[in-house]
Amino acid sequence: MAAEISDSVPHVQAKFFTKQEQYSVADAPYSIPSTVSTKELNNIIYSVLCDGDVKEKVEFDFLIDGEFLRTSLAVHLDDKNISPETVIEIEYVERQTAPRPETSLVHDDWVSCVQGNKNLILCGCYDNTLKLWTRDGKCLTTIPGHSGPVKCVAWIKTEGKSDNEPMFVSGSLDQTLFVWRWKETKKEVDCVYACKGHAGSVDCVAVNNDGARIVTGSWDKMVKLWSLVDGTTVAEDSNDDSSGDLRKKKKLKGTSQKLSVRIPLVTMSGHKEAVSSATWLDESNVCTASWDHTLRVWDMTRSEQTQVVEGSKAFFSIAHSPLSNLIVSASADKHVRLHDLRTKEMKGTYTSHTGWVSSVDWSKSNEHMFISGSHDMLMKLWDTRSPKAPLYNLIGQEDKILAVDWSIPDLMLSGGADNQLKMFNYNKQK
Amino acid sequence: MAWDWESKESKLHKKKNVSFNTGMARMGDLGKRKVKVLDESTDNNVSFFQKAEQVPEASDDSDEGSSFSDDEGEDSSSQDEEYVDEDDSEDDDSEDDSDSDEEKNDDQIEEVLDTVTQNDEYEYDSSDEEDVRNTIGNIPVEWYDDYEHIGYDVEGRKLIKPNHGDALDEFLQKADDPNYWRTVKNKLTGQKVVLSESDVRAIQRIQASTHPDGSEGLYAPWVDFFSNEVMNMPVTGRPPDKRSFIPSKWERQRVGQMVHALKMGWMKPRGEIRKLKLTQDPNAPSLDLWKEDNEPDITKRYRMHIPAPKEPLPGHAESYNPPEEYLFDEQEEAKWEAQEPEERRINFKPQKFSAYRSVPKYSQFVNERFSRLLDLYMAARQRKMKMNVNPEDLIPKRPDKKDLQPYPTREGMIYKGHTDMVRSISPDPSGQWLASGSDDGTVKLWEVGTGRCMTTLKFAGKVTYVSWNPNPAINLLAAVVGPTVILLNPGLVDKLVCSNTDSTLDKYEDDGDTAGKKSFVEWSTFDVLDQEKGLRIQVVHAKDVVQFTWHTKGDYFATVQQDGSKSQAVLIHQLSRRQTQAPFSKPKGLVQRVIFHPVHPYFFVATQQHIRIYNLVKQELHKKLQANCKYISSIDIHPGGDNIIIGSYDSRLCWFDLDLSTKPYQTLKYHKKALRQVAFHKHYPLFASASDDGSVIVSHGKVYSDQLLNPLIVTVKVLRGHKTTNHISVLDCKFHPTQPWIFSSGADSTIRLYV
Repeated sequence: MAAEISDSVPHVQAKFFTKQEQYSVADAPYSIPSTVSTKELNNIIYSVLCDGDVKEKVEFDFLIDGEFLRTSLAVHLDDKNISPETVIEIEYVERQTAPRPETSLVHDDWVSCVQGNKNLILCGCYDNTLKLWTRDGKCLTTIPGHSGPVKCVAWIKTEGKSDNEPMFVSGSLDQTLFVWRWKETKKEVDCVYACKGHAGSVDCVAVNNDGARIVTGSWDKMVKLWSLVDGTTVAEDSNDDSSGDLRKKKKLKGTSQKLSVRIPLVTMSGHKEAVSSATWLDESNVCTASWDHTLRVWDMTRSEQTQVVEGSKAFFSIAHSPLSNLIVSASADKHVRLHDLRTKEMKGTYTSHTGWVSSVDWSKSNEHMFISGSHDMLMKLWDTRSPKAPLYNLIGQEDKILAVDWSIPDLMLSGGADNQLKMFNYNKQK
Repeated sequence: MAWDWESKESKLHKKKNVSFNTGMARMGDLGKRKVKVLDESTDNNVSFFQKAEQVPEASDDSDEGSSFSDDEGEDSSSQDEEYVDEDDSEDDDSEDDSDSDEEKNDDQIEEVLDTVTQNDEYEYDSSDEEDVRNTIGNIPVEWYDDYEHIGYDVEGRKLIKPNHGDALDEFLQKADDPNYWRTVKNKLTGQKVVLSESDVRAIQRIQASTHPDGSEGLYAPWVDFFSNEVMNMPVTGRPPDKRSFIPSKWERQRVGQMVHALKMGWMKPRGEIRKLKLTQDPNAPSLDLWKEDNEPDITKRYRMHIPAPKEPLPGHAESYNPPEEYLFDEQEEAKWEAQEPEERRINFKPQKFSAYRSVPKYSQFVNERFSRLLDLYMAARQRKMKMNVNPEDLIPKRPDKKDLQPYPTREGMIYKGHTDMVRSISPDPSGQWLASGSDDGTVKLWEVGTGRCMTTLKFAGKVTYVSWNPNPAINLLAAVVGPTVILLNPGLVDKLVCSNTDSTLDKYEDDGDTAGKKSFVEWSTFDVLDQEKGLRIQVVHAKDVVQFTWHTKGDYFATVQQDGSKSQAVLIHQLSRRQTQAPFSKPKGLVQRVIFHPVHPYFFVATQQHIRIYNLVKQELHKKLQANCKYISSIDIHPGGDNIIIGSYDSRLCWFDLDLSTKPYQTLKYHKKALRQVAFHKHYPLFASASDDGSVIVSHGKVYSDQLLNPLIVTVKVLRGHKTTNHISVLDCKFHPTQPWIFSSGADSTIRLYV
């Protein structure tokens, strides 16, 4: 096929290889014109594969030195300073199929936070309530309790525990953190603990893998560590609490009669501005992001700060992928940045949004994929190997996106200021 | 006989001294010797100067034939010449009398003398004077003793020594030759020479230690200068005056006088005078040889001299016989006549004459000379110093904008919700919330990070001013609705702070004293229903309040009343005691804006064109600043307290450095329309101005802690976004308290955040 193209255009030598065995081709160099783009390369691969026994047409994406080919081959080689004289090794992977929009879940107010767990979806709203949905779009319950808008939610992993009832935690602008238990049989929610101690809105919460420790970050610049298992720190809610919380307490008592209040295990100060996001790196290390333009890593066993990474903008959201051990961050600008905490340097900048990026999350199954939600109403699906352009723009939200989540591997969630929670079905590659 | 005089002259030179010394005793000898001199000179055509010198040395006994000279060097040249003569023509010699023979003998005797006296031939170097009749050159002749030849001829053949026989021959000669005893061998040539009688006599005389030529005296005879012979060019014979032998009387007198003057100190030697001058005069010019630029003015003037411009050379038209084409025809002549003298191409009529001599006197000569001289005199010719300056060099160095980051660059968020123009905005001290007051009668509280409107409070009138209490420990928001200042506790921040604020407000107990006092305003609290909404206190003024400002500590606040009675234009209120005072009995001018100093007890009052700084403790005017603008619209103070910026309706922004002067340190006129608000950032070195032209201009304004450095002001960003409605665009701008962000509110009922 390559020979049919006139000789006037320069040709390059290319080898194709793939890690997907079923699509592998012979390891021989092909002479292809340098003006080809992904489409023509697809045709080449397809024609080669058709000699074999592949029947259906499969779309591929092509990687050169770990970066997606998005322009023509010549432009790409020129950009990357790759000599067209050498034999270029082109990896091809099956193209990611477009995520399918699924249902849209309508709330009463802005959706500020969302997290999924198996077939349950938990949303926090600005009307001070939490909503629990099933994957199919059925509203299980609406949980009042907070006296301020809910700012963050997180599921607590309870696998392997005796009761094995789903638990989750929610932080709110009313400076409290509530730990809830979803009783599936009774279809009701119990408030397990109220965690008090922050002097500002609780903006982020992160639960560690065994579900025993919770880290929260707050507007009061503090990072607090809470325990879910140690019974010693439990204090019974008593009436001698400060008189200023009268109104709030009334509400709380309406929902849950007996409420135990927890105080933080450790309070760590270091950030100079509000802590906006937190994530566990491993069993003992937590990374927090703040409006003071820094990422800080804390060792929770020693309760001290171990690392500071300076950024240039206020951080709004970070996410950590245990697969690639990288951190993706959203700041007060339109860029998404990729950090490697081990090298302390920025690994990449992903620019396509036109508004502030409010939230980011990694894929739990693919080390290259992450999503970002922005105030420009778009959620974007990114591949770390394609810094110039996202894989897909997920359109649907009609106002600012405030939260995105990819905790359920085949479901991408986004919630925003249009009171809706959008779900996108992500087809995993075979 | 031209040489005659010359020879006499030379003699004169040589013997003058002698003549003076010895007198004229021997004048009589002159005539005889003169003859001799003449003879010699005619015979030998050699340089008569040498001969002339030889003349006086020739002794009286020259007839005896021996003319040995004292000075061998002087004579050698003459000897050489004589020798040449001898070789050339034997006839000449023979024609001569005995002189030539005798001279031949001279050489031989000289050689004898050589052997006798001259043992060391290297005692002096006189190679050019030696006898050169052999060819061995300047080497000792002894070196040839063992050879049978001595030297080489021109063709390189050996010159064989003459054979003198062996000892027997010698013996035979000794017996036979009667002249043997006076035969000597010339070492140089190897010839045998028979000494003459005179030679032998001379040797004998030398042996006797007398003069070799036998003369009585060693000294040359007296040559008298003056003789009876009449000379062609006579020299005066007047005997010298007596005064030429004795010192001058008058000189002696003069010297005596000078010596006396020196002794008396009237006069000083020259060296001493110079020294004295140097020591006495401190301004005396130093004797710096290498000093430059010491030339007198006159040379400078010459150097700057510019020659007068030359007059053009005459052309063909000026010729007395110009070519035909230069002559005027009638038409041209008429035209020339009609023109004004200044307009004429040439100022004369070309004329043709048959001959140069018939050219008459040029009638315009004097006029032209005069005008030319007048031109030269009146027109100043001076050299203009032209400076080649690159215009870019005159622009001061501006730091790169990238180095001045961070500063707001783009729009980050729009807060939508108001239905009418947003007059005022204020971020809370933590930076989480933003309060806005609008013409639609509402105060809205926004979450900065998400743009969520958290609370909306409805009021009866337009909200003209909102301001959050700067003290983080007090959660109070002031809103101005018409003549009322309402203090709110919106309750969004830390619950502890909110409750503390409420409790401190509740602590106040009316002591009842206010009834007796003259009250400018009316303080009151809200009822329980309104307390639920967050309203706490209201302060009702007599007139509409146009400005509200908090003190940094948050206990005092000041308000400006619109067209209130003059004394109550500015009121200062104390929150904790619920008191109000009017600090100025009679403010000068219409008060526009007031502001508290962040640190010191100073109070800035901006009237239309001036800013007065009052010391609140001493209650006196501290300083008065001249704003170079017509109508001040806004004022803000740097958090350091030493710099203020003001904005004016005539689109100027003035930066005052209070340490520098009462005039603006810098005036920026970058807005096209009136400025509505100016603002400093609390932490970053930024300030901004909002204008009716729809833009917010952010500038970098760094104030150095070093007193010597002036603030650095660089405009970094023009932010646009607000739409203009009714010629009003941006109404307020405030910086975020912690981030390098700026909020702006506009007449298009939006609030925008630039990050």
